[in-house]
Amino acid sequence: MNKKELMNNKYFIAALFLLPAVIFSLIYLIIPIPLSTYYSFFKWDGIGAMEFLGLENWSKLLSDPIFWSSMANNFKLVLISLVVQIPIALFLAVLLTRKIKGANFFKTIFFVPMLLSSIAVAFLWRYMYDPTFGLINGFLNLVGLEQLTRSWLGDSSIAFYSASAPIQWRFIPLYMIIFMAAISNIPKQLYEAAEIDGANNWQSFFYVTLPMLRSTVVNASVLIIVGSLKYFAMIFALTGGGPNHASELMATYLYTKSFTEMNMGYGSTISVALFLVALIVSVVFLNFSKKDVRN
Amino acid sequence: MINKLKQLVIYIFLSVWLLITGYPLVFLVQNSFKIRMEFFRNPVWSLPEKFTWQNYIEVMKSGFYMYFINSIIVCFISVAIIIIVSALASYAISRIDFKFNKIVYILFLAGMMIPIHSTLIPIYKITLSMGLYDKLSALIGPYVAFSLPISVFILTGFINDIPYELEEAAIIDGASRFRIFRDIILPLVKPAIATVAIYNLTLLWNQFAYALVLTSSPSKRILTLGLFEFQGQHGINIPLTLTALFLSVLPLILLYVFLQEHIIKGMTAGALKG
Amino acid sequence: MKKFSILSLALLMVFSLFSVSVMAQDEVNLTLWDIRTASDQVTPALQDAIERFEADNPNVNIEHVPTQNDNYKTKLRTAMSADNAPDLFMTWGSASLERYVDADKVYSLESHMTEDWESNFMPAAMDLGRVNGELYGVPVTNVSPALVWYRTDLFEEYGLEVPETYEELKNVVKTFKENGITPFALANKNKWTGSMYFMYLVDRIGGPEALQQAISRKGAFNDKPFIEAGRRIQELVEMGAFPDGVNGLDEDAGQSRTLLYTDRAAMYLMGSWAYSSFKNEAPDMLDQFSFFNFPAVESGKGDPSNLVGTPGDNYYSVSTKAANKEAAVEFLKYLTDSKMGEELINIGNIPPFTGVAEKIDDPIMKKIYNSSQEANHIQLWYDQTLPLELAQVHLNTTQALFGMEITPEEAANQMEEAAQEYYGE
Repeated sequence: MNKKELMNNKYFIAALFLLPAVIFSLIYLIIPIPLSTYYSFFKWDGIGAMEFLGLENWSKLLSDPIFWSSMANNFKLVLISLVVQIPIALFLAVLLTRKIKGANFFKTIFFVPMLLSSIAVAFLWRYMYDPTFGLINGFLNLVGLEQLTRSWLGDSSIAFYSASAPIQWRFIPLYMIIFMAAISNIPKQLYEAAEIDGANNWQSFFYVTLPMLRSTVVNASVLIIVGSLKYFAMIFALTGGGPNHASELMATYLYTKSFTEMNMGYGSTISVALFLVALIVSVVFLNFSKKDVRN
Repeated sequence: MINKLKQLVIYIFLSVWLLITGYPLVFLVQNSFKIRMEFFRNPVWSLPEKFTWQNYIEVMKSGFYMYFINSIIVCFISVAIIIIVSALASYAISRIDFKFNKIVYILFLAGMMIPIHSTLIPIYKITLSMGLYDKLSALIGPYVAFSLPISVFILTGFINDIPYELEEAAIIDGASRFRIFRDIILPLVKPAIATVAIYNLTLLWNQFAYALVLTSSPSKRILTLGLFEFQGQHGINIPLTLTALFLSVLPLILLYVFLQEHIIKGMTAGALKG
Repeated sequence: MKKFSILSLALLMVFSLFSVSVMAQDEVNLTLWDIRTASDQVTPALQDAIERFEADNPNVNIEHVPTQNDNYKTKLRTAMSADNAPDLFMTWGSASLERYVDADKVYSLESHMTEDWESNFMPAAMDLGRVNGELYGVPVTNVSPALVWYRTDLFEEYGLEVPETYEELKNVVKTFKENGITPFALANKNKWTGSMYFMYLVDRIGGPEALQQAISRKGAFNDKPFIEAGRRIQELVEMGAFPDGVNGLDEDAGQSRTLLYTDRAAMYLMGSWAYSSFKNEAPDMLDQFSFFNFPAVESGKGDPSNLVGTPGDNYYSVSTKAANKEAAVEFLKYLTDSKMGEELINIGNIPPFTGVAEKIDDPIMKKIYNSSQEANHIQLWYDQTLPLELAQVHLNTTQALFGMEITPEEAANQMEEAAQEYYGE
């Protein structure tokens, strides 16, 4: 091939465009997963000798009640996050893209949760949830609702839900911004046409805004789903996965096994399982939603 | 009349949300003025008995400034690289019709699923062997690689939505792929790029797992690690830590305020294409 | 030709000899990894030791890299795993040190142990630095037993005496509960805080043999003392001895001590470092705090003077990767000399060194020292004694006991099952 043909060859061009991304991914992303899979067949504390176990870690995983309950927690988090974050983010995005005074101010403050680190957020919420001194119980006592006061983080039956609340609070602004960007991309003519047809605000929203946002919402959903399945930070900071694994997530479980208990082999097993679960769920979701987008 | 009512309701909603979002910042600032001895004696919600700048001074003295600069360098360089690399890759996946197109896309998606802790030890070993241990540049590789999948995902989706006709004319005219990429596509994907920039910047700014294992000496420490300086084996100076937390988020807020203008411009520029 | 090559060979030899001796004068750089962050109590003493060492050894430079507690563990393990250990590092002795010794990461200090140096240390502390009879780490920071700290003024207000038996303790608990005060300030999200109660009860009921036999597999983790300890914990929980939502309260965020400082709780079972917490956080109340030993269980075998805690706290070791082990060991001597001991006492610690008694002025610290000396046995925290896998099961089951989510039998059985799996039975 001469130079001109090479430059025009689509494989060559594609390769050039992809090269930088592939290099980074190869070194830092692609190697760890097969490596983790390799470790999952061994008993290894990370520093000493490795003992071959065959599929033992995997059979242990399949019958490990903590793993399954942590996966259940992850799926609960997916559902909660989808149901809470998307509607609220949409709502706020719609409100803020209208011409109201102080929109910029609101936009700035609303984004602060995303900017704070999980550590900061965990501090605050830990004190909010304190059964004796916390704001939440304090408020409930104040308005005469003492029977609703709880040990928010200490009660196994609600610890997980209590720890999930700050997560919603933290990520809503992100999707709000994403939706705002998408909404402002909707051609004004569509709204004008709808108005001419006599549509009011609600109808504009449902028949113009929403359909145009469909692919953005799908994208946001994928981000939420994957993020929730992988999630670690806030739950680990607030409850450590406890009490007694009540709020354990796959990622917190894998961290505890790998780094606290130094059971790298089993920890790797969990991380490969996490990867597979997230992969399957996302592929399924994308296939399912692509059918709609094609319309 | 109804309009005014609607406006009022909207403002009420927004104000409630403002309270919910803004209070943590107030909490941080309020307690940054307390001294350690006071923190547990009075309810954590109370205003400081005496407003003191002591904590701020101590945080500044602790090398905070250096950690801050380190964080800025690492995060901004990483985000810049992420934008370039992911834009290039997304264009290829979205627009160049080559055989492995779909597989490459799925592989990138798969990259999103990798839990960070399972990569710590392999990346540590790789970094060691590359001779990058305890250098700030060691962080850039993992930061970029980890942010690529999501960035590619966002950008690919966005480029997919751009009508093909815009490029057809240029292709007929014989423009090279790269020129099309640079002159036509890039300007159009500004909102997506802004999204990618913000998303990654905030995540990377608060990231600390990699810095923990890949760096060691205080001169290479980044902000999130520096925060733990105020925690001892058996106790933690909470007001001091909260001060540090506030100071580390302040620049980000200011930056966001500044960037916002550009983001808005970028967003509305896209709308013009309609 | 031959002459030339012999000459050059000779030159080469002289040159290399010369460079070796020059190198001996060269800079030695030692990396030191530990948890002595700016906020850690011991840091000033450590830095003083570094300064003294560097002054006496000008060609050696110590690069001190402190990392906060939990992060430190991750960081050290990762580095060890990639064979990139620092020259000097810190552990908590016993199982935490053993792990690295077994993986050949630690340099044995046996050959450097002169009688002189060895006599410097309290024997109980030295034990935890030994693996298979060989010394791998020296104790440095603190003799730190867990003690029941209490508010003397609250006890006086309700006419209570220091309880010496478990029954008397129950009475104290009842009295406080009736008067709207939480008897024990406990934050158990961290798990180790609650486990102190369990460890003491096992020790008081079954003596130190209970644990020793379970570990050596002559006994089991579901022997009577363990079940009985679990039962008594739940008895206390049901009496309301602990705060609401105890498993959700974070010790690191001070959610236990804040109860103690605001008169909402009266007692606090915690290591002797609690005293410095009081000094830092509530200095105006300092003279209202004292402590008593964990009460005896009357029907139990345990010696009531025994303590649960650590006789050395932090142990410093030299890694096998250190290029200059001589210099590293030399530094350890500075970390454990009498000047260091004095500095530690100034901070409020009790160094694990002999001959410190006379230097302690503070009455509370004197009392701590005496309690430590009178103890016939100091049981190290289970999560440092047991292998990591078992330590986690212990912490989790104990936390579940506090949450009334598991019966004492179930907790003990789970421990025993995990032990059987670990020891390969």
